[in-house]
Amino acid sequence: MKSSALAKELVRIVGEDGVLWRQEDLMLYEYDALSSMRQPDAVVFPHTTAHVVEIAKLALRHNHPLIARGAGTGLSGGSVATEGGIVLGFSRMKKILEIDLENQRARVQPGVVNLDLSLAVADDGYYYAPDPSSQKACTIGGNVAENSGGPHTLAYGVTTNHVLALELVLPDGEVIHTGASHWDRPGYDLSGVFVGSEGTLGIVTEATVRLSRKPEAVKTLLAIYNQVVGATRTVAAITARGITPAALEMMDGFCLRAVEDAVHAGYPKDCAAVLLIEVEGLREAVEEHADEIEAVCQENLAREVRRAKSAEERDLLWKGRKGAFGALGRITPNFYVQDGVIPRTRLPEMLDFIASLEKKYELHIGNIFHAGDGNLHPLILYDERNREQTSRVFKAAREIITRCVEMGGSITGEHGVGLEKSDLMPLIFSEVDLELMGRIKNLFNPQGRLNPGKLLPTGKMCGELRGGLLGGGTA
Amino acid sequence: MTVAVDSMRADLAALVGMSQVQSDVAACAAWAVDGRVPDCAIFPATAKQVAAVLHYASEHHLALIPRGAGTKISIGNPPARYDMALCLGELKRVVHYEPADLTISVEPGMTFAEFQSLVGQKGLWLPLDPRGGAKATMGGIIAASAAGALRQGFGGPRDMVLGLKIATTGGKIAKTGGRVVKNVAGYDLGKLLTGSFGTLGVIVEACLKLFPKPPERATFRMRAGTLGIARDLRRRILRSPHDALRLVLLDARAVALLEDSTQAPERPDAELWIELGGSHRVIERCMLDLRQLASAVGATIVRRDDAERAWERVSNLTVWLQPQFRDVTVLKATLPIAASEEFLSRAQQEAEAERITLASFAQVGIGIIHLCALQEALAANLAGWAARLRQAAAGLGGTLVIEHCPLELKRGLDIWGPGGDDLAIMRKMKAAWDPTNVLSPGRYVGGI
Repeated sequence: MKSSALAKELVRIVGEDGVLWRQEDLMLYEYDALSSMRQPDAVVFPHTTAHVVEIAKLALRHNHPLIARGAGTGLSGGSVATEGGIVLGFSRMKKILEIDLENQRARVQPGVVNLDLSLAVADDGYYYAPDPSSQKACTIGGNVAENSGGPHTLAYGVTTNHVLALELVLPDGEVIHTGASHWDRPGYDLSGVFVGSEGTLGIVTEATVRLSRKPEAVKTLLAIYNQVVGATRTVAAITARGITPAALEMMDGFCLRAVEDAVHAGYPKDCAAVLLIEVEGLREAVEEHADEIEAVCQENLAREVRRAKSAEERDLLWKGRKGAFGALGRITPNFYVQDGVIPRTRLPEMLDFIASLEKKYELHIGNIFHAGDGNLHPLILYDERNREQTSRVFKAAREIITRCVEMGGSITGEHGVGLEKSDLMPLIFSEVDLELMGRIKNLFNPQGRLNPGKLLPTGKMCGELRGGLLGGGTA
Repeated sequence: MTVAVDSMRADLAALVGMSQVQSDVAACAAWAVDGRVPDCAIFPATAKQVAAVLHYASEHHLALIPRGAGTKISIGNPPARYDMALCLGELKRVVHYEPADLTISVEPGMTFAEFQSLVGQKGLWLPLDPRGGAKATMGGIIAASAAGALRQGFGGPRDMVLGLKIATTGGKIAKTGGRVVKNVAGYDLGKLLTGSFGTLGVIVEACLKLFPKPPERATFRMRAGTLGIARDLRRRILRSPHDALRLVLLDARAVALLEDSTQAPERPDAELWIELGGSHRVIERCMLDLRQLASAVGATIVRRDDAERAWERVSNLTVWLQPQFRDVTVLKATLPIAASEEFLSRAQQEAEAERITLASFAQVGIGIIHLCALQEALAANLAGWAARLRQAAAGLGGTLVIEHCPLELKRGLDIWGPGGDDLAIMRKMKAAWDPTNVLSPGRYVGGI
């Protein structure tokens, strides 16, 4: 069906102002924070679950792919239309439907921005715990699809640990409800399967999530090192002391300088690495843990350990961390972010390996990542106009991921498999595993019209990293 | 295709070895489920053998029920069919253990006691207090999603499983998740298997996230004159900066039972027990704050240092109460937190009306309430009580499961209650994993 004919049918469902179908409008929806692909045939903005049902039925009748999209901040290409079709934009389903503090939960539409939910309950002393660095823009629906993480998931868990119930539309237009607003509804934990299914099983139209009480006290430490290895050793040493910080982030000197130039957070520009460590809880516990952590940092040859003296200082340190990817955009035309995971004890070894790849492939690789849970984000700088250099970027990225797998890790900790890594799945999953996942997918999405080309291998480029390499975004 | 018992025995012996198959009637009686005795019991020694047995059962339409120590086997409807017990106690190796990474992978038959004692040597623990306690097996804990009062502070098995290996009815071993604490590669089938009660596949290896043990723990008992005061206290505690590890509201009979008191309670006061963890200094601070909270609502408070045994009992009601009360019935209601006290009040009224002796153990911080009908009651009374409480729970936005009861009650009631609009998907899910319906058939939600 031609875009204009499809658009007419969609207009009948959502109204004139709820559909984009002109070439120049669709161009804005041909990419997300990973890459650029072909354009969708139409973008539609439903207001209600009933709209989504009608759109799903329309897509079924005409055999169109359906791709749900939140804010497009995803880093694995999860919301790009690989085969055209209808993109469902959720920017008009962004109501917080219910806040129920006594029951520690909120019911929201999928287009609600992550940070907006936290802000809505902040005055009452609550927040929504998963905090991806893109939280100012990314949506709860997208977070559910990708099972998003963030710096503070070290102590509090990722999205799946905070989702109680979902309302979903299946590709045939059926609406189902999984989970409940209380624990342990009898039956299979289907919410647990949907979270992180990257839009390939159903379309989330409502989510009930847990709200957490803000801690009484927070201390933010900045440990500064002249050698990277001191920082990486500190990570395992903190865990060994029986302390679980709320966040434990690492940034190497290269990233740090880029960030400092952009944000002026007060990071020391002459060091090799810093750890940004946060402890939360009761005042007394926070003081004790901060002292212990400081001692561990010093044992591991930290040059200096600073403590944020005010909420402003803390916010500035975090602004630097969360804005790091943006800051790097100032110094490089493009960068490619990896998202591998390794056991945290292997960090020193891994960073040596990444440094060796810099030499081998003559590339700049920055490291800024969630050190506490071994979730790496090496950033490889390049210029997409230089095709030869771009191919070296792919090779280096591939070697990093392969080494993660060899160390007993994973190909993605929080960015998702998406389009980028679907063909890397065989690195960690056998044919048996993948066949089983395929069977699960077929239960919900038998024709493969929901978000095609994502999560499971396509079989076309086995073992390859993909993506059109448009760097950017946040982690 | 069905097979004669003799040939089944021979076939199974070929798969797992003669000594690993038990088929005499007296021995098999030990593996009875809801009064039904299987024809044989199989004790595989490896994951591959488990997969081979599953495949055989699937091909020959032989119903099997996987089991660890059997401490949670009473949770389920009577099996529709039951030919073999699949006993997993011999699979109990530690497959990988990295204390510094706080990860461990174990086989399903390892007992909880063995597990905790191993990781405890490094100051670590899995912060769960499942039904079955020390005897429970790791596979059983995950399959039944068994968590006790510690769920308040740490979440349940679903939050601790990092990866699983699962033997399927296709005779294969499939993996989900991995061995690192953060991982979003592929569908999270670990969530699906956790709490699936052996109806989809058999867990043959589990990678779990470990936690450092708190340096000290302390329990405080707060006596609240009425449920209204208890509710007030619960609200204040949950809004305070304190993160309880365990929080349970006990009725007077529950307190008397926990204290091994044979006398009827003097006063019908409910008690709220709270456990907190941290350094000595942190605990001192908690005590000061709790004293203030309690006095603000007119409750008394005492510190109790030897509460571990009582906590174990709270999380292991069925096993603990059964020697004393052979026919104990245990209901588990799950509710929005705020509805806890109202539901408890309904439960008391309904119990009095049916002359049921009730003890209630309510995790009011997470809305999970266990009600125990202690004495032998008429099945009809029990059934009426359970049905009305299920309705009451539904009216408050919750559900109710009968976790343990006399068999005749099970025959007349679905222990799980009605399914929702996702039941059709659950059925499809079951059919995708177990097309010939041989894994614990008929025991789960919606007749799955």
